[in-house]
Amino acid sequence: MPSRPLLLKRLLALPPTLRRSFWSSSSTNTTTTPPSPSQPELYDIVCVGGGPAGLSFLAALHSHPATRSLKTALIDTQDLTTSRSANDANDAYSNRCSSLTPASLRFLKDIGAWEHVDRRRVQPYHAMDVWDGVSGSRMHFDPMDREGGAGGLLGSLAEMLPGSRFQASRRKYETAGMEEEAGVVATMCENMNLTAALLQRLKELQKEGTGVKMLDKTKVDSIQLGSAPASDTAPDLSQWPVVTTPTGDRLAARVLIGADGANSPVRTFANIPAHGWDYNQHGVVATLTLAPPSTPTPFHTAYQRFLPTGPIALLPLPNNQASLVWSTTPHHAQTLKTLSPTNFTAAITAAFHLLPTDLTHLLTHPNLSYPSELTWRLPATPAKTTNLPANFPTITHLQENTRAAFPLRYRHASTYTSPHLALLGDAAHTIHPLAGQGLNLGLADARALAHVLADGVQHGMDIGTEGCLDSYSAERWGRNNAVLGAVDKLQKVYSVGSGPVVWGRSLGVEVFERLGGLKGLVMGAAGGGSGGR
Amino acid sequence: MASTCPTTSRLLQLPAAVRRVALCQTLTPTVLRASPIATSFGRDSPATTITNTQGRRDYATAQANPPPTRPQTPSSSSVNETEVSHFSALASSWWDPHGSSRLLHLMNPLRHDFIRTCLAREAREPGEKLRYLDIGCGGGIFAESAARMRNSAGVVAVDPTPEVIAVAKQHARQDPTLMEPGNLQYINTAIENLDQHLPDAAARQFDIVTLFEVIEHIQHPAPFLRNCLDSLKPGGWLIGSTIARHPVSWFTTKFMAEDVLGLVPRGTHDWNQYIQPHELRDWARQQPELSTSDGPGWQMQGVIYVPGLGWKQVDGSETIGNYFFGVKKRGLASN
Ligand SMILES: Cc1cc2nc3c(=O)[nH]c(=O)nc-3n(C[C@H](O)[C@H](O)[C@H](O)COP(=O)(O)OP(=O)(O)OC[C@H]3O[C@@H](n4cnc5c(N)ncnc54)[C@H](O)[C@@H]3O)c2cc1C
Repeated sequence: MPSRPLLLKRLLALPPTLRRSFWSSSSTNTTTTPPSPSQPELYDIVCVGGGPAGLSFLAALHSHPATRSLKTALIDTQDLTTSRSANDANDAYSNRCSSLTPASLRFLKDIGAWEHVDRRRVQPYHAMDVWDGVSGSRMHFDPMDREGGAGGLLGSLAEMLPGSRFQASRRKYETAGMEEEAGVVATMCENMNLTAALLQRLKELQKEGTGVKMLDKTKVDSIQLGSAPASDTAPDLSQWPVVTTPTGDRLAARVLIGADGANSPVRTFANIPAHGWDYNQHGVVATLTLAPPSTPTPFHTAYQRFLPTGPIALLPLPNNQASLVWSTTPHHAQTLKTLSPTNFTAAITAAFHLLPTDLTHLLTHPNLSYPSELTWRLPATPAKTTNLPANFPTITHLQENTRAAFPLRYRHASTYTSPHLALLGDAAHTIHPLAGQGLNLGLADARALAHVLADGVQHGMDIGTEGCLDSYSAERWGRNNAVLGAVDKLQKVYSVGSGPVVWGRSLGVEVFERLGGLKGLVMGAAGGGSGGR
Repeated sequence: MASTCPTTSRLLQLPAAVRRVALCQTLTPTVLRASPIATSFGRDSPATTITNTQGRRDYATAQANPPPTRPQTPSSSSVNETEVSHFSALASSWWDPHGSSRLLHLMNPLRHDFIRTCLAREAREPGEKLRYLDIGCGGGIFAESAARMRNSAGVVAVDPTPEVIAVAKQHARQDPTLMEPGNLQYINTAIENLDQHLPDAAARQFDIVTLFEVIEHIQHPAPFLRNCLDSLKPGGWLIGSTIARHPVSWFTTKFMAEDVLGLVPRGTHDWNQYIQPHELRDWARQQPELSTSDGPGWQMQGVIYVPGLGWKQVDGSETIGNYFFGVKKRGLASN
C-alpha cells in the first residue's frame, strides 16, 4: 500500500478536474476505507461551516419563499447548541467581536435574525477617531456632524466599503429619516452573540417546517464526487460532491457550500487556489475595562491609531468595556501575550498615548514596570504632539483570559464557484482586520448567494450548475477584491515609519481636514439641508 | 480567441450604422465589453438596403397548401428533414454552457419571466399546478427548467430529432428530481403524432404549450400551429419565441452570428422562414378559439442580446429580432 506522501504526490500529478474528485481530512486513513456502496442521501444544500457566514446564508435561504423548502444540512465541528450559555449570564465579553456595518445589520434584520441578538450585549458607536502615530495627522468620522469629516485614503476607502458609514450617513442625509440606527457608524457585537441569534432563527424556521438538518460536533471526514451510475437509467450523481462524516453518514449535495473558514476543506476539495501572503503581523485581541467617562454620554466612539508596527483599535462594548484589536509584529504579539495584566493594560495606554519609539522601548523591556514608566512618560508627551483625541478613555484593566493572538493574512480564492460548489466568508477571502470588514464581507456573500439561488429556483435552474452559481462569483468577487485591495494598500502605506510615504499620507489627511467645506460636501452629499443633530 | 482579429477587421469595414447593430447583438464580451444597450436599433437599421431581397411567406397560402406528401415517417408534416439532420449534428453540444447553445441557455430565464407575465392576470388558485407541453424541446433546456418550477404538474416534451431526445434524456439523469415519476417525460415524435404516444385524450391536454425557437424552423407553420392548439386546454396559453424576418435579424442571426462570428453553426436558421409578429397575430385572430385581446389574451415582448449583459427585454424590438408571444385559448364558459 503506497504511503501517504506518495499518494498525495500522485494525486497532485492528476489534471485538476480529476484531482478535484477527492478530499480527505488528514486524520483518517483514506487508503483503507473503500467508499461505502450505500446510496448517499440527497440534499439541495450541504453547508460545511456554521460560522457567521454559513449560518446567515442558511437563515437567508429559509427565509425566502422560493428557497424556503430546499432540503439543507449543516455540518460543523463545534457544538452549536451550547455556544450561547457560555456568555449569557455575566458581564464578561468574548474577545471575538466584530463591528457590523449598517448594511450587515439591515441584512440580519431582513432575515429575521437580529431580533434574536441579545441587545444588551451590543454597542453601536457614533464616531470614529483615526490618527497616524507617525505624522500625527488625524481625522474624525462622525455622521452626525457635518463639520467633522474624513478624506484622503481612509475617506476614499470608506466610500468603497459596502454599506460603510459614509454611504450610510449619506443615505441618512438624503432621506432625513431618524431611525434607530441614525448616526450609527457601526455596531459592535460578539461573534458568539451573532451566531447564537442565527441558530435561534434557524430553530424558529425549523418549527415552521423549513428546517436545516444539523450535524454539529461533526467533522467532515472526506469529500468526493458521487460514483458513476449503476445503470443507464439511474440518476447520475457523478458531478455531485458527496460528504462523508466520521459516523459514516453520506450526504450528496446539489450545492456544497464552503463556509468553513480560512483553511476551508471545501476549497481544497474543489482545488480552487487562494492567492495571498502573510502580513508578518499578529492581531492581538482582548477585552478591556475602561474608567467611566466623567460626563456620561449616549454617544460612543471607536479609536484607531496607526503605528509603524500596525494599527491598534479600541472598539466600545457596553458597560464601559472595550474590545482591543492590536496588529503588531509577531515578536511584540508574543511579548504582549506574556506581559502581566497590569503591564499589558499599561502597554495599551502607551500604544495610544506615547511616541512609537517610546512604545518600542517598553516592549523590548517587558520587565520594566509599565505603570511607573507611564507616570513620567505620559506628562512628557503632550497630546498635541501625538494628536491624541481629547476624549480618549482611560483603560483600567484587562478581563481575564481574553488575550489571544492570530496571524494576519491576505488570501483571495481565484473564484468562488465550481460546478455544484460555492465558497463564502473566510473560506473565500481573509482580510486584514484594520477596517473591520472580514465578517461584513462574509455576510454580504451570504446575502448575494442566497439571492442568486432564489433567482435560480424561480427560473427553474438546476442551482448546482455554473449557469446559476457563476452569477454569485461575478457579483461578489470583484467587489471583495476592491475592498481587499484597498485595505491591503492602507495596511502597506501605514506600515511605513518614515520618509516620503509618511509625509505624503499626512498631507493627504490634513488637506482634507482643513477644507471644512469640502468635507461637509463629502459627508453631507446633497449640500444645504439641515443634517446633524 | 483566435478568430477575434479577422472578425474585428471584417467588422470594421462595414458602414457605421450596420457595424453598431452588429456589435450590439453579436459580438462576444471580450471584444466589446461595455456595448450600449441596443434600444436605438430601429432608427439605425440598414433597412432600406437589404429589404425585400427575399420573398414573403403568406400564412393563408401555407394553410391552403397542406404539406406536400412525402414518404410518411412517424415524423411527418411539420418536420423539415434538413432541420432534423442539422439538429442531430448539434445534439452533443446542447448542454455545453459555452457551446453553440449558449445563447439559448442565457435566454431561458426570460422564458419563465414571460410566462409569468402571461399568467399574471389569471385568477388561478394559489399553488395551482399546471401541465406543460414543450414542443421542439431540443436537448431539454426549457423542459428541464419547467419541470423544476414550483407550479409544474409535470412536463411532456417532444422533439422529432431522435438524437436530441437521447441527449435530453441522458442529461436529465444529472438531476434526480427530474427522474421522479411524472415530472418530465420526453417523447421522440412530431406533434401531430402525439396521440400515438399518449392515446388518452386527457393526457394530451395542457395548460401551457410552449414553442421556443421552433416556428422559424417549420416549413408550414399554419397547420403546425393548429396541431399545437389541439393540445391546449381551454383557458390555457400557447407561448413561444421566434425571430422576426427583418433586415436586422437577417444581418445579426444569419450574416453575423453564423457567417462572421460563428456564434451558432451555419445553417441553424433559414431567414425566409422567420415570422413577423403581426403575421402571427393575424393568424391568431383567424382562430376562433383564441382570445387575442391585448393583455388578457395576447402578449408580446421583444428581447435583445447585449454582449456582457445578456438578454434584455426591449419594448418595440419584436419587429427586428427575437421576440416572445403568448396567446390564450378561450375558457369553456367565458372569454
Ligand atoms: C483579530 C481579528 C479581528 C477581527 N475583527 C473583525 C471585525 O471587527 N469586523 C469584522 O467584520 N470581521 C472581523 N474579523 C474577521 C471575522 O472574525 C471573520 O471574517 C469571520 O469570523 C468569518 O466567518 P466565517 O463564517 O466565514 O468563518 P468562521 O467564523 O471561521 O467559521 C468557520 C466554521 O467552519 C467550521 N469548520 C471548519 N472546518 C471544518 C470541518 N472540516 N468540518 C466541519 N466544520 C468545519 C468551524 O468549526 C467554524 O465554525 C476579525 C478577525 C480577526 C482574526
